[in-house]
Amino acid sequence: METREISSFIVDEGLRSGADEIAVIATHGTARQVRFANNEVTITTTWDETGASILLKKDKRILTAYITDVSKDGIRGTLKDLMHMVKLMKPHKSYAPLPEGPFKYQTIQGLYDERIPKLEEKNIDYVEATMNSALESGAKRVAGTLLTMDSESSLKSSRNAEGTRRKTTINMMVRSLANGESSGMGVTCGTTLKDFNPEKAGEEAGRLAKMSIDAVSGKSGKYNVVLSRSASAILFDIIAGMDSAFYVDSGNSCLADKLGEKIAFEELSMYDDARATQGLGSTPFDDEGYPTGKTVIIENGRLQSYLHNSLTSKKYKTESTANAGWIVPHAWNIIVKGGKITEEELLKEVKEGLYINNITYVRFQDYSKGDFSAITRDGVFKIENGAITRAVRGLRLSDNIIHMLQNITNLSKEAKQVSHWWMEFGTPSVTTPLILCRNTGFTTPTK
Amino acid sequence: MKDLADFAVEHAMKLGAEYAEARLQSDIGNVYVVKNGNPEVAGFVRERGLGIRVLIGGGLGFVSLNQPDKDLVDTMVREAVGMAKASIKVKKKPIRLSAEKAVEERWEVKPMIPFEDVSVEEKMELLLDIDKITSSSKEVGVSVPNRLFELIESNTEKYFVNSEGTAVSSKIPRVLFFGLLTAHEKDKGTEQDTIEKGESRGWEAVKEWNLIDHARERAKTLGKILKTAAKAPKGKIDLILGNQVVGLVVHESVGHPYEADRIFGREAAQAGESFVTRDMLGKRIGTEVVTVVDDPTLKNSYGHYLYDDEGVPARRRFLMKEGVINEFLHNRETAVEMRVSSNAAARASGFDMEPIIRMANTFMLPGDYIFEEIVKDVRFGVYMKTFGEWNIDDRRYNMRFIGRECYLIEKGELKGMVRRPILEITTPSFYDSVDAVDKSLKFEAATCGKGDPMQGIPVWHGGPNVRLRNVRLGGIE
Repeated sequence: METREISSFIVDEGLRSGADEIAVIATHGTARQVRFANNEVTITTTWDETGASILLKKDKRILTAYITDVSKDGIRGTLKDLMHMVKLMKPHKSYAPLPEGPFKYQTIQGLYDERIPKLEEKNIDYVEATMNSALESGAKRVAGTLLTMDSESSLKSSRNAEGTRRKTTINMMVRSLANGESSGMGVTCGTTLKDFNPEKAGEEAGRLAKMSIDAVSGKSGKYNVVLSRSASAILFDIIAGMDSAFYVDSGNSCLADKLGEKIAFEELSMYDDARATQGLGSTPFDDEGYPTGKTVIIENGRLQSYLHNSLTSKKYKTESTANAGWIVPHAWNIIVKGGKITEEELLKEVKEGLYINNITYVRFQDYSKGDFSAITRDGVFKIENGAITRAVRGLRLSDNIIHMLQNITNLSKEAKQVSHWWMEFGTPSVTTPLILCRNTGFTTPTK
Repeated sequence: MKDLADFAVEHAMKLGAEYAEARLQSDIGNVYVVKNGNPEVAGFVRERGLGIRVLIGGGLGFVSLNQPDKDLVDTMVREAVGMAKASIKVKKKPIRLSAEKAVEERWEVKPMIPFEDVSVEEKMELLLDIDKITSSSKEVGVSVPNRLFELIESNTEKYFVNSEGTAVSSKIPRVLFFGLLTAHEKDKGTEQDTIEKGESRGWEAVKEWNLIDHARERAKTLGKILKTAAKAPKGKIDLILGNQVVGLVVHESVGHPYEADRIFGREAAQAGESFVTRDMLGKRIGTEVVTVVDDPTLKNSYGHYLYDDEGVPARRRFLMKEGVINEFLHNRETAVEMRVSSNAAARASGFDMEPIIRMANTFMLPGDYIFEEIVKDVRFGVYMKTFGEWNIDDRRYNMRFIGRECYLIEKGELKGMVRRPILEITTPSFYDSVDAVDKSLKFEAATCGKGDPMQGIPVWHGGPNVRLRNVRLGGIE
């Protein structure tokens, strides 16, 4: 069956089985990945997967399921199990029905590039070109992944929401190593081949790795720091995740009770745009069937909204922001508005400080307070008199999310889309400029 | 679909592969979630699919599919062969696999109480009872305004077959409890704790965990920290790390850097590499009291298996023996490079993932002391019983652990609580500072992440209580 047939069949059968409400997202996708390391391909992978996610409600009780057996008998068996299970559940305390359709979904331009599924072995050529570019720029060893995807998802709900989205994505992440611990990273990604530039990503990774040779040990203390787009993306993914009303309630957020408050630099504006052209997470509808749009999270430093689905919006006595997640609302594409100055001008604002190209391994001491630390890597440099001077190693970013937001003092002009394998809250993409954050804490080993 | 697995292997070999394997895997899992006393959702996952890996001309190709369609298997095997062949042009050295004895085996962990014999109602009631206790300030002595509890149970069945005659079938149940508690005290702020319990057993495991009592105690501890903990000391000190902290330390700083794929650079793009190099085997890195093993064969353990996802029989691995680097974790690809046999560390998180080198249950072996003895010799120090925040760099050299439940030690006695001491130390310095380990041994469950796509794998880590001499507690001055 096609994805539309699967979702329709499940909805019809679910209602026939006695469900009050049901929503289904049936998906079929193929994806190809080429992994590489030590200047050679280590493995190629191709996935072909079909599945259906199901939300079923009965007497204010809520169940979800994911199945890969989408045969008619398999679906009937699943629904029988769900109906048995739902009777034993407890009612949800802030139950809300699914949104009533029908809805009209406007097409999002630039989400499908028919060339991407046809790339096949050409993916290996891209990898080779990326590695060559990195090696020419100073890398000794190159590693990374190229991932291409082609997927179709059909949503149908028992309350007349119905839509299909088809999307391609391409994502190259390259890491270069030059000598000992010196490394650099580059990324290029999108939904089409339009701006895909693997050579540039390779060049950036190689150049940063070369610049990282002969790093000196960093010293613990407070620094003025310029965060590159990859490093900033990790920070803004955390803000987006913590803005989910589910996580606000569960204690995973330092944004609780801060709606309307000034939590950040007054020129910082950040929103979620589910309809971004070339957005890796773009979708015309959310998982409940609401037509998607733009949700302002922070405007001029002030926290404007949490991300909601029907359940959380009922509890908060507000409207859904079309960010379902049936249980956990989430961002689709985070966009951080660029500032007024160039990257060079941003660097020039730092008399003495640090440039951090990448952060990973974020861990929280206390989500509700926002105390955390993270590993810095892939290009960590001293800034002296507005220019990068030399590489530094061994520094751990050790600060607080709100403190960092409030200590941002400028942003570079150009925002670009970044995907990152370490997104703590799984935001598909963050479009961000470079940011300058003052008085930021860094620690080092004491023995 | 078993026939399709056999067909896939035969078909790949006919297409010219030097080696082929297929893994049919079915995962049936149920999830229950309660947040702040509200039964948010219950749900299930029913996944079944086939992962196929081929080696041809020294290139490795992996494909997966989840529809039982012979034509699709044919297409995907051709895809694996075609892509692997195409990758050879960007290959310096052909991939080879270590020679391993072919086996035909079937193994199973039989639950005493299968999950399906316990009603959904009982499972939700358990989570709601835990919530009720932890939300009662009368019970736990502190306000715990945010509470999240999850119970995840699963049954995994696998059929592994390869072109060398190995065929292994297995069946294993697993259950995991996760809790997040956020306590608040006016003028003192918040403290958070996570609780994780996991085993490869049936519902009998959950019954033995005494989750209500356990969660009550953890919540009470948060209250004590908020109300009584003093500022943690900084500077040179003796430090005793509790079982939970030691487990995490050995997982991060022995388990991961001894993964041979990291050592060889295969994971450089994301997870990273290792400060350990292949020529460091036999080198002393810690004191003689430190021995760290990884053992998939531990019964009931969350990381339990008897054959890995390359069909190699599991055994205990002595990673660090009396302070000396003794053995790395291998799959067949890295084993052949080091001219050893695989020690069965290849694991995949699902049918759609390539098997990569993973830990199972990593722990420091206990010593002879009792806990009081290792405390007695400390004039001034800290006992870090549990941890909150931690991380380690991608070479597994520079690590940090911040304590949660911690006590001051003065003149050989445990005193009052101290808040959030920070141990930030290099791996060699850590193992060189250990001078005593006690005879206790406790484990914690975790889901270890590695790879791209990210593969979350069930593991245990554990150890005794351990004393470190002359380390420095840090943080920003």
